[in-house]
Amino acid sequence: MHLTMPRSWPKTGLMRRRMFWAYAFVAIPVLWLVVFSLGPILFSGWVSLHQWNMLTPVRDMPYVGLENYEYIFTRDRVFPLALKNTFKFAIGGVSINVVLGLAFALLLNSKIKGRTVWRVLYFLPVITSPIALAVIFAFMFNRNYGLLNSLLVMVGLPRQGFLNDPNQALYVLIAIAVYQYLGYYIVIYLAGLQGIPQDYYDAARVDGANSWQAFWHITLPLLRPVTLFVIVTNSIGALQVFDLVFATTGGAPANSTMTIVLHMYNTAFKFSRMGRASAMAFTLFAIILFITIVQLRLLRDRTYED
Amino acid sequence: MRGTGTALSKLGTAAKYMILIGTAVLLVFPFVWMIDASLMTSGEIQSRPPVWLPKSPQFSNYPELLDNLPLGRFYLNSLIVTGATVIGVLFTSSLAGYAFAKYQFPGRVILFYMILATLMIPTFVTLIPVFYIVRQLGWIDSYAGLILPGISSAYGIFFMRQFIYSIPDELIDAARIDGATELRIYWRIVLPLTKPALATLGTFVFIGSWNSFLWPLLVVNSRELYTVPLGLNSLRTFAAEARSLHLLVSGTVLSVIPTLILFVFLQRYFIQGIALSGLKG
Repeated sequence: MHLTMPRSWPKTGLMRRRMFWAYAFVAIPVLWLVVFSLGPILFSGWVSLHQWNMLTPVRDMPYVGLENYEYIFTRDRVFPLALKNTFKFAIGGVSINVVLGLAFALLLNSKIKGRTVWRVLYFLPVITSPIALAVIFAFMFNRNYGLLNSLLVMVGLPRQGFLNDPNQALYVLIAIAVYQYLGYYIVIYLAGLQGIPQDYYDAARVDGANSWQAFWHITLPLLRPVTLFVIVTNSIGALQVFDLVFATTGGAPANSTMTIVLHMYNTAFKFSRMGRASAMAFTLFAIILFITIVQLRLLRDRTYED
Repeated sequence: MRGTGTALSKLGTAAKYMILIGTAVLLVFPFVWMIDASLMTSGEIQSRPPVWLPKSPQFSNYPELLDNLPLGRFYLNSLIVTGATVIGVLFTSSLAGYAFAKYQFPGRVILFYMILATLMIPTFVTLIPVFYIVRQLGWIDSYAGLILPGISSAYGIFFMRQFIYSIPDELIDAARIDGATELRIYWRIVLPLTKPALATLGTFVFIGSWNSFLWPLLVVNSRELYTVPLGLNSLRTFAAEARSLHLLVSGTVLSVIPTLILFVFLQRYFIQGIALSGLKG
């Protein structure tokens, strides 16, 4: 980034007029971010320390200290479950996406015909609305007439509950999420692979390295920032999952697919417990912030190594 | 030796294509099934063992759907909301991005770091306050409520600043010497030169806004303002109650097809944009 400050600020009229224009250009975008993003996050933290149903005026909210946090972690039966489910969902999806994303990127990066066509096909689910995919997969995984159960019966296996089975529903949701976003991570890995200079591989071959060694000692280490990016963006996205769960199970059966944002949504907009919901939001925000900071740290360490 | 080598590599190539084709079939199958099932009767969709092709294609499913659901209205709403959001984000991002890339002014560094910090704020954390603010402004259940909170994007500003930074200063200075006003330079020089970046950012914002669900769900009450995902969601509950699954499937087809077509035409911008964002990260 090039954000060096000039030693002194321009004093001539012409320069001043330019400065005026610069302020005019940034005024609305910055004001908007303050009103709809930065301000709200402070407000959200403030609300998490109060009891509020959004009907009483803001200045009359009773202050309750950390009681909302205490409540969601010790007395709310659903929140710890939602926390566990959300983490399971994120970790499951991320690990599959990293492995399969890299594997398919390697396949597509080798000599292959019709690369654009493959990319387009693999990318179709990424741009499709999660609600539409949820509807289609609810059909596919239907306990009674879904195609997957018919397939199981055909090969002589018993029918499964899938989205109706508390032991399976979350894994089905992970599968649908991987289906939707795998193409995105393939494209990112593919871009990463194409950024590695061919010279490295040529040099390795001259030194007698086989392709497995080249993968292990050149491809993987050089892809480290890409993998880090995939892990972080995917975790951040998966930790906020809402649409898919809302339109398939709604958190059922037995809260086995209840996620943090869905529980927060219910707490806030069904039960009007804004304080508790804000405490949940802030807890998840802290987790996401932590992941982002770890990513920045790891990326900086890497530049020192170089 | 050489013979086995080529045979092996041929086998490897065959395996490669098998995996690629198999996965592509798996990925496309739900879409194909959806179109197939949209022409079935409700009974055929639920039959055990499954029906693969409808006995006689029920093209009437589509007119029947449109009689029950004002999908045209939902499309219009989605177009208005998405169109306004895309234009708004492109305009604010390119303006602010230009200022941050090419102007010197007190507070520039602090404001830019502020925008970078905003990048890390997930939308759900601000959901309750933004809902409250929008309600205080009287924008609940209106286009304003659907559109206005989303017309400025920290990511967009950052993205445009990085792109505009690479435009040579000489071009801008030359225009200044010719007597062009600052606004005219933005409009006539900067904007045309950033077309590829605008196209990429525009496709991202389009898909995000078109598929957006949680915010419209909160801010809209009346059916006249439903966007396509909200309409599909209401169709989900309606179809379950009315036992008309065929309408749900044909509704899903109609909700998905436009984005698919758009994507096939614009896929270049997408893939470029994603590749860029991935490498930068």
